[in-house]
Amino acid sequence: MSAAPAPELHDIQGLVARGYGDLATARFVLLGIDDSAAARSWLGALGPKLTASDARPQERAVNVALTSSGLAKLGVPSDVLELFALEFAGGMTTPHRRRMLGDVGPDAPERWDWGGPARPIDALLLLYANDEPTLAALHAEQTSALPGGVRAIRTLGTSDLQGYEPFGFRDGISQPIVEGLSKKGPPAQTVRFGEFVLGYPNEHGRYTDDLLLERSPELGRNGTYLVFRQLRQDVGGFWRFLDEAARGPDGSADADRRTRLAAGLVGRWPSGAPLVLAPEADDPALGTANDFAYHRDDPGGTRCPLGAHIRRANPRDTLDPRPGTEDSLRINRRHRILRRGREYGTPLTVEDALDSEGAEGAGDERGLHFMCLNASIARQFELVHFTWLNSPKFVGLYDDSDPIVGPSQPFGGTFTIQSEALRQRLTDVPRFVSVRGGAYFFMPGIRATEHLAGL
Amino acid sequence: MSHQVAVTIVAEVRPGEAERLDRLLRSMGDGLANGSVVDLATLPDLHFARFVLLEETRDLRDRPIPALLLYMSDVDVSRDRHLADLVDAGSDGLDQLYGHCEGYPESRTRETRLAYLRAHVVKEQARYFNTTGRNVRRVRQEAELRDGIEKLLDGRPDSTDRDPQSVRKAVQELVARDESLRWARGPAPGPDFGFRVKETLHFVAGVLLALLLSPLLLLIAPVFLLLLWLHERSDRAPHVPAPLERVEELAELEDLAPQNPFTAVGFLKPGIFRRLTIRTIFVALDFAARHLFNHGNLAGVKTIHSARWVALNEWRRVIFASNYDGSRESYMDDFVDKIAWGLNVSFGSGYGFPNTRWLFFDGAKDEQAFKDFLRRHLVATRVWHSAYACLTNANIENNARIRAGLQGEAEPDDARRWVQAL
Repeated sequence: MSAAPAPELHDIQGLVARGYGDLATARFVLLGIDDSAAARSWLGALGPKLTASDARPQERAVNVALTSSGLAKLGVPSDVLELFALEFAGGMTTPHRRRMLGDVGPDAPERWDWGGPARPIDALLLLYANDEPTLAALHAEQTSALPGGVRAIRTLGTSDLQGYEPFGFRDGISQPIVEGLSKKGPPAQTVRFGEFVLGYPNEHGRYTDDLLLERSPELGRNGTYLVFRQLRQDVGGFWRFLDEAARGPDGSADADRRTRLAAGLVGRWPSGAPLVLAPEADDPALGTANDFAYHRDDPGGTRCPLGAHIRRANPRDTLDPRPGTEDSLRINRRHRILRRGREYGTPLTVEDALDSEGAEGAGDERGLHFMCLNASIARQFELVHFTWLNSPKFVGLYDDSDPIVGPSQPFGGTFTIQSEALRQRLTDVPRFVSVRGGAYFFMPGIRATEHLAGL
Repeated sequence: MSHQVAVTIVAEVRPGEAERLDRLLRSMGDGLANGSVVDLATLPDLHFARFVLLEETRDLRDRPIPALLLYMSDVDVSRDRHLADLVDAGSDGLDQLYGHCEGYPESRTRETRLAYLRAHVVKEQARYFNTTGRNVRRVRQEAELRDGIEKLLDGRPDSTDRDPQSVRKAVQELVARDESLRWARGPAPGPDFGFRVKETLHFVAGVLLALLLSPLLLLIAPVFLLLLWLHERSDRAPHVPAPLERVEELAELEDLAPQNPFTAVGFLKPGIFRRLTIRTIFVALDFAARHLFNHGNLAGVKTIHSARWVALNEWRRVIFASNYDGSRESYMDDFVDKIAWGLNVSFGSGYGFPNTRWLFFDGAKDEQAFKDFLRRHLVATRVWHSAYACLTNANIENNARIRAGLQGEAEPDDARRWVQAL
């Protein structure tokens, strides 16, 4: 494969290069567009203020993204919209996609707080700052800049849980190493830039959305797709279920066993130490360890269960047809996502979670604003979500969907813990995460916002 | 029969009747067959079946092609026996379906219906079945056995602490006690002796014939390669996007169960060279699927249960139909990632297929153009039945391992491996 062209970082929105870890506070403003001309002038004024990937903001950052309805309302003609990926144009809530993503029953889009048929979203403003006062000022500045025809539908706050997610596990450890960005790694783990941004060769040596880039390069180039799902986490339900499952024959609680079971579901201990490297007990020294393989180190799942969350989200060297080989890693590289989520709500300790339902506080909600970036939602986010996380059949299992985010109905409510002897299995595992909102966005390049403003 | 048989019935729909037939098919389940009109689930020895309507169209030279009704199934009995089962199970339903088709008898008796179906059976050009000789009964029985064992062990939580030998013994005792599991006390039956002899002879004859023809093949190879080069230079196909509405409509029929059907139809590139090439490829493909890829693995892809290629309209079109595990997107990724060369060879004669190089190369490697090519040629599988839609090939294979490992005494290592399959 030829050497990749250098990414035009100055034209790519900053969320691609970094999750703004230095900026601890963030708010996401969901927007509706009522007036095309007003929206174009707003975007035109916003464009020059957007944070680019070549910046290292220490105080504040602003990025923007649009849904397909948002692009249409800005005036993108339908014959150009058709050149975007099908799943983006169709949106997250089509009948088939609900089935794939598990957004049915209590998680159906009709019941979402935003993004469902009753509350469609046209645009998303992402605001980051180093502290609350700066964020509040940035938020006030940005909302006062909204013209009459652009409405703030909802503002989503975030919390800084210091690198942990609400269930109490360190999160965000494993990210793909992206060619052309600052962090370097071994070639087998380095993913081509075109897997995340349009206009660069992808892992197939091609250009994702090639027709869009051919016919409307000013719009497609340096853009990326942003998947956003607000996931409410039932922290009390999670720990109470595990506490029950971990009890001894006499009904006594067993905190060690409870933690061990939880670690089995996740694939890492609370500190982040991976079970593949620390099968017996948590080892905070391995808290950010990420150099391990599944087929090579633990093919049968006796250290880390085959259905554990992290084994599914990134199967590493597990994939057919030749697990443990470079071929397997090559196929895995075609299904990576850049995670850019932020937690929300007040944290809850395990003790408080177990205490009683009341301790969680009425209406006190916590969870993850899941966000990821990819060049192909279908081949990356959706494949990971459906074929790996949600599928009860992943790697030869029967009825085990992802124990953390997967559905338990109509399939998938079993969790199997492999061992050197007979497996242990948990049945009727409920779903601990519920979906409160979501949409597929396109995050255009910075010059592309000027193009949109000039339509 | 100790091996699976494919049945394909092609009937021409009378002009103007396609719309009503389409409504009838939609009433039969819109995705998974719901048992109305023809209750496919009651047919004995049936693995998979589907009814598919191909709409009226025009060929590459603008000649009209009438609408077609296709029935495709994989069964464990002879073709004639399956047709008789079909008539016996659903003569009213068949009358409703084929009443829309040309030549369906006015006087409807068991015999006239059977004669009609027989007369409309066509031969597949190539077909694949995941594991030769593993019949429906066995697939279902072994799934029940595994469920029974898992439940038994869930009811005895202390089993997780016991050594594999004693767990295995407990299961053996269960099977010995339970009369309904009598069948599990012996190894699984495979293809019978006569069938294996016939297959061996067919394989040997095929290899001999290929050897015999090889000097001739070498002789014509330069001419073939030159013609191929010329054709590949002139048949350039652009990347044509798939229409969103159509893709979304078809997607509504997908992922209703862990298994999915795939049906696609397309025109062949015109000309005698392409025609001869694809006919030769199908012969080789059928031979390879029959003798080399007959145990759980189609050249690296393990998720396909069955597949067939059938020529239609005097070889102007070919239909491809398969049953597979997982989503269409992951199926297409498997094609691109694992057997792009195979797709190039078997689909590359299709009109509009992404440009191939020397028959085997490029083509499906152009991921987006290839996926859009498939999406544009998809056909709605409105009525689909699988006897085990919730079992993947990996499940079926593991169930077979559990049954096989249940017999007799076992070495400690074998017992441990057996217990780990649970």
